[in-house]
Order: sequence, then C-alpha cells, then structure tokens
Amino acid sequence: MAEKVEIPVQKWSGRVREVTLGATREEGGTRARTVTLGGETTLPFLHFEGKLSHPPRIAIEIQDKKPEAWSPLLLKAWEGAIDDPAAWAKKAEERGADLILLRLSLDDAQGEENTPEKVKSTVRKVLSATGLPLLVFGPGQVDKDNELLVAVAEEAAGERVVLGVCEDKNYRTIVAAALAHGHLVDSRTPMDVNLAKQLIILIHDMGLPLDRLLMDPSTGALGYGIEYGYSVMERLRLAALQGDTMTQQPILVTPGEEAWRAKEAKVGEGVPEPWGDWEERAIMWETMTTTALIEAGADVVVMRHPESVRLVKEAIDKLWMKGG
Amino acid sequence: MALTGLDIYKLLPKTNCKECGYPTCLAFAMKLAAKQAELAACPYVTEEAKAKLAAAAAPPIRLVTIGRGERKVEVGNETVLFRHDKTFFHPPGLMVRVKDTQSIDMIEKRAREVADYSVEYVGLELRLDGLAVENASGEASAFASAVERVKETGLPLILISSDPRAMEAALAKSDGTSPLIYAADEENWEAMSELAKRHQAPLAIRASGLEPLVELVEKVRGAGVEDLVLDPGCRGYNDCLVTFTHIRRLALQKNFKPLGFPLIAFPGEGANSPEEEAILAGQHIAKYAGFVVMEDFDPALAYPLLTLRQNIYTDPREPIQVTPGIYEFGEPVPDSPLLITTNFSITYFSVANEVEGSGIPSWLLVADSEGMSVLTGWAAGKFDADKIAKTVKTTGIEEKVSHRKLTIPGAVAVLSGELEDELPGWEILVGPREAVDLPAYLKIWKP
Amino acid sequence: MSRYIATRAIRGANRIVKEAEDLFEKALAEHGPDTKVAFPNTGYYLPVILGITGTEVERLGGLKPVLEHARSLLHPVPKERFWTPYLGEALDCGIATLLAEEVIMGIRFVYGEQPERLPGFRLAGGTFTSPDESAQEAIEGRVNGPIDDIQLRSWGIQLVDGRMPGFAAIIGAAKSNEVAVKIVRELQMRNILVFLCGNVNGRSIIHQLMEEGVELGYDTYTVPFGTDTISAIYAAGFATRAALTFGGKKGGQTREIFLYNKFRVFAFGLALGEVDDLKYATAGGVISYGFPVIADTVIPEILPTGVTQYEHVISMPFDDIEGKDDLERATRLVQRCIEVRGVKVKIAEIPIPIPYGSAFEGERVKRADMRIEFGGKYSRAFEYLRMRGLDEVEDGKIEIVGPGFEDVEEGGYMDLGIVVEVAGRKMQEDFEPVLERQIHYFINGASGVQHIGQRDIAWIRVSKSAAEKGLTLRHFGDILYARFHSDFEAIVDKVQVTIYTEPEELKKWLEIARAAYDVRNKRLVEMTDESVDTFYSCTLCQSFAPNHVCVVSPERLGLCGAYNWLDCKASHQINPTGPNQPVPKGEPLDSDQGYWQGPINFVYEHSNHTVERVSMYSIMENPMTACGCFECIAMVIPEANGIMVVSREDPSMTPAGMTFSTLAGMAGGGLQTPGVMGVGKYYLASKKFIKPDGGFKRVVWMSSFLKESMAEELKAVAEREGDPDLIDRIADERYVTTVEELLPWLEEHDHPALKMPPIL
Repeated sequence: MAEKVEIPVQKWSGRVREVTLGATREEGGTRARTVTLGGETTLPFLHFEGKLSHPPRIAIEIQDKKPEAWSPLLLKAWEGAIDDPAAWAKKAEERGADLILLRLSLDDAQGEENTPEKVKSTVRKVLSATGLPLLVFGPGQVDKDNELLVAVAEEAAGERVVLGVCEDKNYRTIVAAALAHGHLVDSRTPMDVNLAKQLIILIHDMGLPLDRLLMDPSTGALGYGIEYGYSVMERLRLAALQGDTMTQQPILVTPGEEAWRAKEAKVGEGVPEPWGDWEERAIMWETMTTTALIEAGADVVVMRHPESVRLVKEAIDKLWMKGG
Repeated sequence: MALTGLDIYKLLPKTNCKECGYPTCLAFAMKLAAKQAELAACPYVTEEAKAKLAAAAAPPIRLVTIGRGERKVEVGNETVLFRHDKTFFHPPGLMVRVKDTQSIDMIEKRAREVADYSVEYVGLELRLDGLAVENASGEASAFASAVERVKETGLPLILISSDPRAMEAALAKSDGTSPLIYAADEENWEAMSELAKRHQAPLAIRASGLEPLVELVEKVRGAGVEDLVLDPGCRGYNDCLVTFTHIRRLALQKNFKPLGFPLIAFPGEGANSPEEEAILAGQHIAKYAGFVVMEDFDPALAYPLLTLRQNIYTDPREPIQVTPGIYEFGEPVPDSPLLITTNFSITYFSVANEVEGSGIPSWLLVADSEGMSVLTGWAAGKFDADKIAKTVKTTGIEEKVSHRKLTIPGAVAVLSGELEDELPGWEILVGPREAVDLPAYLKIWKP
Repeated sequence: MSRYIATRAIRGANRIVKEAEDLFEKALAEHGPDTKVAFPNTGYYLPVILGITGTEVERLGGLKPVLEHARSLLHPVPKERFWTPYLGEALDCGIATLLAEEVIMGIRFVYGEQPERLPGFRLAGGTFTSPDESAQEAIEGRVNGPIDDIQLRSWGIQLVDGRMPGFAAIIGAAKSNEVAVKIVRELQMRNILVFLCGNVNGRSIIHQLMEEGVELGYDTYTVPFGTDTISAIYAAGFATRAALTFGGKKGGQTREIFLYNKFRVFAFGLALGEVDDLKYATAGGVISYGFPVIADTVIPEILPTGVTQYEHVISMPFDDIEGKDDLERATRLVQRCIEVRGVKVKIAEIPIPIPYGSAFEGERVKRADMRIEFGGKYSRAFEYLRMRGLDEVEDGKIEIVGPGFEDVEEGGYMDLGIVVEVAGRKMQEDFEPVLERQIHYFINGASGVQHIGQRDIAWIRVSKSAAEKGLTLRHFGDILYARFHSDFEAIVDKVQVTIYTEPEELKKWLEIARAAYDVRNKRLVEMTDESVDTFYSCTLCQSFAPNHVCVVSPERLGLCGAYNWLDCKASHQINPTGPNQPVPKGEPLDSDQGYWQGPINFVYEHSNHTVERVSMYSIMENPMTACGCFECIAMVIPEANGIMVVSREDPSMTPAGMTFSTLAGMAGGGLQTPGVMGVGKYYLASKKFIKPDGGFKRVVWMSSFLKESMAEELKAVAEREGDPDLIDRIADERYVTTVEELLPWLEEHDHPALKMPPIL
C-alpha cells in the first residue's frame, strides 16, 4: 500500500506590497493604463500555497540618445527608432514592453552636456509617444542624476514615474523630488540583503510611502555573478514572506544591462568557437539571466533586445498559468 | 531535531582509527552532522549506534551515479531547498538525446560533438555530461547498435525505451557503464526492475502525478532496486516548477523516503522551440532536476546553460575564486594601463565588467587573495603589499608592460607607500574605490 | 509655561481675531461672499487654514467658519490675580492667531494690498503674484508675499534632501543695520533659507537690509514677506505646504502636519527687538509646528516640555551676548539658534591647500622628503579627544597655542599636542575613544601627510611639498573640524580644535590626556555584562553568512576582533539603521550559562529562524554561530577533557586533526555547531570565556602565536585563575600536533583540565 502523499504547504505570514506605476487621466496622469506589481503571498509561481496577484513585468530600456557603445546586435534590433527616444518608446511598446525605462545620458547626441531643459523635452516626447508607465534613470553620476531627475520629476508631475536610481551614497534628492511631484523611486543596493533593507528604511524615513518604492538588489549577469543576485533575491523574498516588512517591496532588476555588458552577448568576433552562434547566444544570455531572476522573485525586469523580450514574455505566460 | 556532532560523537567508537578518512572521531561526527559523510564509512560502528544514527545520517535524497570512470555523473544528496541555506551539491547531468532512427553516422557525429564539447569559463572546463539514446524505432537491434556506437565515447548514458526486450539488448551492449534505464512504468516495472538489478544500473521511474509515482516507487523498491531516478510526468514550466518543488520539499522537510531520489526532466517535450527548451532547462537547473535531457546539441544554447549550472551550483559559503594571473581586456599593448585586484570572483567580475565596458585595452593582474574581496583580503593579510608585490614579480607582467605604473584599488590606498618600498622602480597609483568609476579613471590614465 | 507669555499671547490672539472678524465683515459688505479668495500660484488654497482645519477656502464666504473656529479656540485674558494660563491655552490661542492672520492676508489679496507695497524695493527673483500688473511692476515696488508652489517644491527638495539645513523666520528689526546684515550673512553662509517680516516701531529688518543694498529674493535665499507681523503667516504657510507636499499629509491632519515639521523641517523663529502681544500670539502658533523661537531681548524662557525638540522659547538679550563687538554677538546669536533647533552643519570642502581624500591614506613621507615630524624618535606627539557641554565648545574654533613649524629647520622635529573637543546632544563619553581613533584616518587623508599611531604615541610627518603648498598646523584643525562634522554628524554638533606646541601648555595637556587614557583603560576592564542592559548585534557578515548574527557584549567582543561593545554602540548611534543594533538583554534565563531572553529572541529573528537558542558564552551548548572572519577557532578535544584554540596565523596541524583552514569550514557559515566556535582572541582573556563549560582552565592547547601576542593578558588570566603557571601547562604546536601526543604532555605538565568534570 502506497503512502498517502501530503503536499507540503508553507504558511507564509507576509505579503509583497502592491505598487502601482503610472497614472491615468482620472488619476492625474496621462498613461493609457497603469501597471501594478507585487501582492504575492508565496514564492514565485507557486499558486498552490498563496495568492499571486500580478505577474512579473518587462520594462524595455531606451536611451535619450543612440547608445553607440551598445552591442551592434542591439543597435540593429532597434534600427530606425534608436535615434529618437519617442519612436524608440513606441517601438518598444509594439515589441511587448509592459513598461518603458528611459535612461538619460550625460551628453546629448551632439556631444553637449545634457541639461534639465533637454531632459524635460525628451520626457515629454516619450510620454506622448507611449501610453505605458515610465521609469526614468539618470546617467549614474551623483550631481547629474540629481540635476536631471529633479527636472524629470517636475515635468512628469502626476505620472507616477519611477525615478532611479537611489543608492546609499545618493538618494535624498531623488526621493525629495519624488515626494514633491508624486513619483516612485528605485532603491538600489549592491547584492546584499541587509543593505537592501537598510536603504528601504532610510528612504521610507524620509517620508516616502512604501507603496512608492521598488527594491533593486542589483544582480550580475549569467556567468558574471548572477548567483549572488539570485540568492539575495531569494533571501529577500523569503524574508518578505516571513513578515519582515522592510523587505516587502516588489523587486526590480536590470538583467538586460548586465547581460549585454558581458562579452558573451556584446561581441561576435574573436571569441572561442564553443560559444556558438553570436546572435543566438547573445539573446539567450539576456533571456536566461532574466528568467533565472524572475524565478528568484523579480517583479520587474529591465531588458534590451526585442527577441529576448518575446522569449521571456512567453516563459512568464507559461509560468503564470496554473499547470502551464 | 537533528543530532549535533557531539551527540553523534558519543555513539562512535572514539578510537580515532582514521579509517573513515577523517583524523578523529569528532571530526567524522561533525561531518555526519552536516550530512556530508556517510555513516557506512566507519567500520566499527555498533548496530545500536547505526539504528540511532540512521535518521540523522541518511541523506534525504539518494545519491545516484550513472556512467563509470572520469566522466561519471553523480546526482542527488541534496540537503536544502535554497542554495543560500547551504549549497547545492551535485549539479544536474546535462544530457543530449539521440534517436536510433537517425543514421549511425549522424548518431556518431552527435555523440562526438557532445563528448568533445568543452568551453572555458573563468579557468574552468565546462562540459556536457552524456547522451540519452532513445529507442524511437521500436526495434531492439537498432537500439542496441546505436547504444553500442555511442558507448565508445565513454560518456554516461541514459537508455530510453519502454520495451524491456529492447532495453535488455541495449544493456547487453553497454554493460559495465551503469547507464540509467529510462523508464519503468505501470506496465513494465517488473521486467525493468529485473534488468536494473541484473545490470546494476540505476532505474528511472515514470508516472503521471505524485501518488501513482509513489506507488510505483514502492513496488520497485520492493523488488529490490534502490538506485532510482524519478519522472513525475510533468513537462511544462509551471507544472514542473510546482511538481519538482513538491517532491523536493517532501524529501527534505518530511523525510518522505519514496520521493527521496533525483528527478529527470525533458524540457524539449514541453517546448515549442530550442530557445524555449533552453529556458525551461534553465529552470530545471535552478529548481531541482537531477538530469536534464536536451533534444539537440547547439553550442550557443549549451554554453549559457552550462554557465548557469556552474553559477547556481557554486557553494555560497565559500568565496568563488578565479584563477590568479594576468587577464587581458581588448588587445592591450605594452603601454596599456595595468590594474590589480583580488581573485574573489565577484570582485573580479565587477572590475572585469567595467574594464571590458570601458573599451580601453588594459591589463588586469589578479592576485591570489584566497577568494577574499579587496578590503577583507587586506584586513586578513591576503591582499597586502607583500602579496601584491609577489603577484607583480611572479606573473611576468614586467615583461608585458613597458611602463612601471600599477593601479591599486582605492579601498587599499593605504598600501601605496608600503608597496613603493616593496616594488622599487614602480609608481603606485591609487584607482577609484568603486569598480564603476574605472572607465572614467582609465580614460585619463597616461603611461 | 510662563504666565507672562501666555497672558500676552492670549491678549494678542483676542485682538487679532477681532481684527480679522471686522475686516471680514467689511469685505463681505463691499465684495460679497462669492468673491474669490486665494494666494496666487499655489494649489493649497489658504494653506494654514487648509492644514489646520481641512477647509478648502475658495471664496470670501468660506472664511466665516474659519473665523468661528478661531474664536472657539480663544481663551479669556487671565485676570491679574489668577494663575491659570498654561501652555495648552497659549498654543490654542496661537493657532487662532495663525487662522486669523491668514484670513486677513486672504482678504488683503482681495483688496490688492498683498504682496505689500514697498516703494523703491526691487526683488532679486520672486513670485509673479499680481496678475493685474505687469511682471516688471510685480517685482518692483512690492515685497514677495507668499512663496509660490514652484519655489516651494524646488526649495522643499533641498530641505528634504538636506542640502538646505532649514529655514529661519526673522521678525522685527535688528539692533543696527550692520547687525541685520551680519545675521542674514551668517544664515546664508550655512545655506539656511531666510524669511523676513515684521517691524519694531515701524522699522523692519527688510528696511535695514534694503538700506544696506542687500539683494533680497528667491535668488539670494532671502524672502521678504512683509513689514508687519501678520506676514509671518507666510512662513507657517510654507511649513504647512511642505508637510502636505513632501509629507503626503492631507488638509485637516493637524497633528501629523505639526509633527512632520517638528521632526523634518529644521526651522526656527528669530524675534529681533521688542516682542509685542501679537508677536507672542504668533509665536504661540509657531511653537505648535515644533519651531523654537529665539528672541534677542529679555523675555521669559520656555525650556523643554516636548512641543519642540529642545527648548521652546529662548531669550538671548543681544547686548548681553559675549563678544568683542556687535558683529561677533550676531554670529553667536545665529549659532545659538542653530543649536536650539538642532540644525546640522555641512562642510562641503575642507579648506586646505593640498589635495585631500582617502586615496592619500597610504602615502609614506620618507625622511628625505620630510619637512618636519611630530612624535617618533626625537619628539613627542599626542592626540586627545574629549566630550564637553554644548556651551563649552565653540564650533569651528581652531586655535594654535605656541609657534608653528615655520621656524623649525627642514627635516627637523617638534612636539605637538592635538586636543579635539566635541559636543553634541547625542554624544556620550563612551564614544570618545571611538572618535579619537578616527584622527589617524582623518589626518592621513591629506596629501603629503603621514600619520601613524594614536594617543601619546602618535607620529606625524609633513612632506616638503605639502609645506611648500602652504600647509600649516591650523590645517590639521580644519581637517578634523570638517571630518568630524561630516562623518559623525549623528552624534557631533560642535567641534573645536586646539593644537599645542607651547612646551608648558603641551605638558599640562599631555598629563590630562594620559589621565584620560588611564580612565578609559580601566573603564574597559571594569565593564561587565552585568553592568549593562543592552548588548549589540553585528550582522555585517550576513552578505555571505546569511544566518549568522554576532552578539557583542562588554565581555565578549566580536569574533573578528574588530568590534567591541563600545564600537558597536557608537556605530549604532552614527548609523541607526546599520548592522549594529541594540539587543536588550531582557529576562535573564540563566546568566551563568549565558542565556538571556533578549539575545535569544534577536538571534532567532535575525538568523531567519534558524538559530533557536544561543548562549552568550558556551561552546558546548547552543554556541554562538560564526561567519568566517573569526580570529581564532576553539574546538573541544574530548580525549583531553578540554578545548584547543588555534589562531588564524597558525598554519600548523592541531590536536583536532585539522588545520585552521579545515576547521574554518566547520566553524563558519552561520551554522550552530556545538563543540566548535569561532572567537575573537581577546575573548580568551575574558572572565566569561566558555564560563559554563569550565572557563579558561579548559584550554589544553593553543597556538603559540596567541601565547606570545597576548602574553600580558594571559598572564593576568592565569593569576585570576589562581595558577600563575597555567599558561605553561597549555600545550602548543611547538610541542604537540596530535591528540595522541597531547594527553601525556598534559599529564606531564599537570594540566588542571584533567581533573575537571567531564566536558561531554
């Protein structure tokens, strides 16, 4: 006589906080629709023991000028749209983005310094070109980030844009700008559970409500330290489900940026033969980095190549479907 | 509650005979407590102690080996649900399927490709593990000759057939290689069990759903086969994630013996394209498969999968190290910048990523800090002036660069003075504290 | 609460509410109830009214309920004989005053009387507040009036992110034009936003500044609201809108709006000149926001009672302020304001003539390149940091007592004493050594300066090139002043540095310093786990040992050796959300065994529920886990009825049959492994060292490195244990490397462990 199989069901006490990006006209913005993240009461895709309210979402990263340093594969994939952020946003939406992430550059296309005025006009154009909720990340230099993101916050007032990235060494101005104009922020820390938690606390202490805060524990690409990001995300999610309130933010990660920095994705020539076909490998590098992180608990993944986006979207659909 | 090392020690002979391979009984007891050793290694343990220790000492998921010799694959013996809880011990075997309906040449070519495939990753050789030969023809003889051909590669094999006669023929050709028999099902389990016993080969068991699977496992174990691999019949993304999670939890949390075996997955059977198959295979690697059978061989898919497996199965308790030495980025020339960092993988990767991304050809020296990051290594004396100087002198970098300027990480700026003493003739430059600031630094670097 | 203040505030409130009512009736008659009432360019209606009452006033008629509410808050002016007024009544009246003042301003806008006309005045950047006039006219001939929303957000961001430390609302007129200018300059210098309003006998600080040609307006962070007291309402409006905008508060959440301002908006009122009833009444309203008021005249003080963070009302009669002239007095007045509100000072750049940064920390100054050295072989240098009262430290004061090194020959030396005095509301004496140790890092950051050692064995060299660039002793003071402020902002409010080269003074201070070092040494020794009620956690290593929690107590330092209890305590103050958290000891379950409820709960929680019970001391039962950074590993040797301790420096084989690195795999990773424990080496010398298991006498083997590097400490332990030869009875790797050799050796040396009760 066979033993009766009792499926172990974990009782979790915590829940990931729901965070809504974007605002429609009724809500004070101009987005065609909003995107809500989080809400889960169990580990990724385990329908049988909890509630899964919102599937993971894909943000496609666009830049305010043609990113010359990007892999030729990416430049080719977005050909025709890459010189114009508005056209690019539109195309990204067509290619399956749930969200648009606009990254600002230090210099404009003419090589002149980016200014609050230029950035405002770019943001305005992108907002008009797409109805998707927007995330805007600065160029990654403290002074410039603060200068430009304050302008973005002002220009996009009411749109519930995610401003990023807040880091331990620089978050106060970005958070203040988000507070002033009703936006959200991305809280990024270098692959460490306690640091992730700490920055959430610090940002929250400034008065930003937790439902306007995404947690970005950062990650490495496949082959470049993904295991750290992966485990930190699993740990953060477990802590959240165990009831640790300061880890209950939806998780955002940027596998696209990480993967496309890797030589495996970026370069086609002068690489070892066992690496196989360049384009196929490159897309798989981004795709597999992304899906591994989704299964570790990512709620938003920021990606770059439209074909990877298609593959990841399919995978999410199947993971989301009970028995799929 | 689990027994502690001290509890176990009390039950051991306390003779320190060392025959278990450990220096003292206490050391052995500690390893047993950590489920990293088998009680059977102690020749003198009493029956009474054995009984008491059985629960604590038996790994909850059985270790199953296929193949022999150098390339054998061991899977199972896992003790945790999440790698951060300890580590995942035995990476799943990545196998490639061939069919006996393919021409012998084709089969041989594929087998060769799989056997020879090897890709370098941070100084490691990553390889595929074996072949799964499917009796697609339904003919015993075709199956047997396909198996005979691929056996020559020396790779571990999975033999796929539901027909015990075909299986018998194939096993006859692959004797002595411990292939995995795939699979016993509701119909054929008795004959398959018999074959497994006779050929001392592990046996896969296939059923749809957990309860039928458990029932079948009980029958097969009743027939005397213990080395089992399970196929619970799921094929899709969510289906497999959920089912494999159930099985792993049952084995680990409930010590549910009938499901305490490695799992086998066939991602290609649930996918519409090779890419989709590879993504699903990635899921299986992270979430609990013991064997993953791929439909085809494609290096562009194999490389990321092998890398993912390597990453997921690294031991988070031990810092991963990259091989110390000289690393080149772009095509550095004698007056390209020279940087030094530690061999802690995450340190190395952050630096490598930024240097690579900067587009400026550079030399990077990696010192053997025993896997410690820059600051930890500095604090522990594993990345001090002495170690850095030694790295510069022994790697031969002095012949490769024409200048004498070494950039050290900003976090160990404090070493600069001491280093100039240790490395006469060298100018020590202090680089940025964070890797992310390296591109800007390299841009203004002058020989 | 001062009866005097309350009486006057209540009187002022009664009067202003009446004035508002009269004005309201007049406006209602002349303009009708549907006339629009608004402050221009703001989306917050009349903001104080919105914040306090939740009412969105858009039309004249809407002011009626506001005035009714204001009146309901009034209390009668107390009779001379009775002793009734208390803070609550004055605060109520203060609120009534603010409501009335805002009503008045709303109506004045209806009459086109706001922003106030001021002939000859020209704004340096301001709000376009009067649509009836051209932009040119708007900024000419009128003061600013209320701050518009765009400017509110822009400054608000700086207030919230900390670039702007706070704002000052100045009301009245300064003693002289010169003083007025000085006060404003002192505030501007600190990046503090300045609001100007009010007058004394018709003369306003706005007039004073205008006469002196000081540019006023958004561009210069000085906003003239108006020359009467009522215009102070715009400051309250700004504060209220800050809470609504940045605090996410809603109109009517009065308490939340006040608390937001109290804890997040570092503002204060500065009353210059005589304080009349209306000013008292207005101050009563301002205090509710948590903003203290400082007056430069004699008025009764209201010291801490909780509405504001520290003192409520401070009196600093201008002429009584210490100082050689009015300008110095003005500086002191501003400093006092900043202290009272707890505004933190930021120093953007260290004013020294040489590059500064952590990249220079490791530089050596070779003798040949040396301009001068302090300490070392030929001279004496010491460093001493002490805590003093807030009124005993003059922030930013850097004094050199004695000659500089200019006259010392090149390559020469001289004696030096650096005395740093700090004060802070959160500073504790226990932090002195922690801060003092930082002097080494701070000085070392200067290019061309090398610093070694600490206390009275400090040794500093200055290179020729640094000296050529103009480095003097004073710059050490500049560096320390700036770094202590920026790195220890959380606990340090004031820093003063004195540098001694004058032989007599230096000698005197060296003695003071040595006495203090001595006291500190004793304090460390005397501090026991029983003497405190809080331990500290360290979770710094959870990045790689996710379930590991260190609990650091006075008698058990962190296993890495880097953090003792005091360090953790200071670190927590400096970084309250960081890896060192207080662990209240809680219920003692069995303190001899090292069980307290507090650490047990804390470790369970922070080990992700994996470590269920932890002993503070034992190695055998529920030992503390380890990350991997331990200085030593202790492991039980059951055969010898004792334990061995191997240090990280010792690569040799141990009687456990394993080397340090093999053992490390067993001891680390945050797993609780009875019988094995990672420890900091000074824990060996603690009275609590494996106390439940028999204490130090259990040690049967230890690395010779430990015996040598801790010879003194171990000698003391041996004496404490009543066996001066104890250390010699302990085996080490020079004599014994296997368990088989260990037993006979111990017997030969008559080790006490052999006679102790069985360890297992």
